[in-house]
Amino acid sequence: MRSPSILIVHSDRKTQRVVQRILGVTGYPIDIADDLEQGIRLVQHLSPILVVLDGAAVGSPHAPAFIAAVAQRGTEACMTLLGAPSAPLPTILGIGAITNLLVHPMPVLAEELTITAQKLIRGDLFGAEKYLLWGAQLHEATVVRASQRAELVGRISEHVRAVGQSARVASMAMLVTDELISNAVHNAPVDGSGEHYRKDLARDIEIELDAKHQVRLRWGFDARYVAIEVTDPWGSLDRDTILASLARNDVRDSGGGAGMGIALAYRSCDHLVFNLAPGKRTEIIALIDVRYPPSERMPASSYNVFVERATGVEP
Amino acid sequence: MNETRGRLTLETRGDVLVLSGAIDETSGLLDLIGRASDGNLVLDLAAVSFINSLGVRDWIRMQAAATKAGISVELRRVSEPVVHQLNMIIATRGTGSVVSFYAPYACDACGREESLLVDAVANHDALTRMDAPPMPCPECGAQMAFNDFPERYFSFLIAGG
Repeated sequence: MRSPSILIVHSDRKTQRVVQRILGVTGYPIDIADDLEQGIRLVQHLSPILVVLDGAAVGSPHAPAFIAAVAQRGTEACMTLLGAPSAPLPTILGIGAITNLLVHPMPVLAEELTITAQKLIRGDLFGAEKYLLWGAQLHEATVVRASQRAELVGRISEHVRAVGQSARVASMAMLVTDELISNAVHNAPVDGSGEHYRKDLARDIEIELDAKHQVRLRWGFDARYVAIEVTDPWGSLDRDTILASLARNDVRDSGGGAGMGIALAYRSCDHLVFNLAPGKRTEIIALIDVRYPPSERMPASSYNVFVERATGVEP
Repeated sequence: MNETRGRLTLETRGDVLVLSGAIDETSGLLDLIGRASDGNLVLDLAAVSFINSLGVRDWIRMQAAATKAGISVELRRVSEPVVHQLNMIIATRGTGSVVSFYAPYACDACGREESLLVDAVANHDALTRMDAPPMPCPECGAQMAFNDFPERYFSFLIAGG
C-alpha cells in the first residue's frame, strides 16, 4: 500500500496541472485520473487523504461508484471544483457526500484550494483569519442576550457601508449575520440527550445568555472578502444536517431548526465554511466576495464542512 | 402615521402601505391583510433592507392568507434584497404581482453603480425575454449595463422560474 496521497480527477489537462502545482506544496504525492473510471481503478491501489473532483463529472453514471470507492478507502475528504456556471450544483448537493465545494472560474482558484487543502491536512480549522489577507483586522463582539442580534446586524451593515461597499453587499452581510447569530442562540444549545431545547422559543422573546450560552461574532474585511464568523460553544451542528440544509431548494411554511437559516445564509454569500468540533464548538464563516460585480460572479456558492478529530480532520 | 414593529416601519400613503427596514419575526405581516382596500393590498418595498428566514416564513403566510381571502397583493418598487428572496424561494412569490422593482446597473463610462427602478409592466415583454431595459447613467448620461445575470435576477417574473 502506498503512503497517503492526493488524487485529482479532472478531464482538462490545464486544470490538472494547475491543481497539481497548487496542491504539490502540501508535500503529498499527487495522482491524476482523466475520468471517473480511471479514478475508480486508481483508487484501489491508493490511500488518498483528499480527492479533488471535477464538478462536471459528478453527474456521470460512474460518480456513485467512485464516491463509494473513495469512502471505502477511508479518504479524508472529497472536494469538488466547479468552474462552469451550468455545472450541476443540485446534483452535487444532492449526493450528500461532497463535503467541500469550491466554485470559481477555472483554472484559477489557488487561494481557496490551498486553504481548504491545508486545513484538511493540518487539522487546523478555526478562524476567519485564514481567509483574509495578512494585516486584515477582525472585529469582535460577544452576544450576551438574544435581542442583541438586531443591534449587531445594524452595526455590521454600517461598518460594511463605511468601508465603501455597496448597499447590496451590506444587505447580504446583514442577512448572513442575522441568520448565523439566530442559529447559534436558538438552535445550537442542546441538553444531555441532544435535544435542542431553545429551537422552538419565539425569536422575539428576550433571553439573557449566561457564559455557557454566549455567542462570539467576528467580522473583517480585505480587498477580496467581507468575512463574518459566528461561533457557539455547543458543537451540536453535524455534517449531515449541514449538507441536507445546503441542498434545500425551498422552505416550508412551518417548523424551526437550523435548516432554513443555513440555506438562506448559503445562498446569500459566496462561500460558507463550517468548522465543527463536535460537542465543543461550531464556527461558521460566511465570505462575501467583493472583487467582482454581480454580473461577473459565479451563480453558485462554495462551501466547506470541516470536522475536527483528535488527530486531524474528517470529511 | 408611522407604525414600528421591531425593525420594520409601516407608513400608509393613500392606498399604499410603505414598508421600511427589516422583515423578521417581529413584523407581523399576516395582519397586513386587514389593510387591503377594495380587495387590493398595495405594498411599497423600496426601503426593505433584508428579510430573514423568519420574515420569509411570515411573508409566505401573508401571501397565502391573501390568496385565501381573495385579496390581490401588488408589490411596488421592490428592493434588491426582496428580489433576491423572491428568486431564491419560489414560495415567497405567492400570487402577487410585481409592478416595479429595483435592479443593479453599472456604467462602463464612469464606473458608477446604481440600483435603478424598472417598470415591470411597461417592460414586460423585454423582461420575459430576459432583456434588461436600457437605462441612462444618472451621473454621465451614458447607457448603463445591467449588472447581474438576467436569467438569475429576472427569474422571479417567470411563473415557476
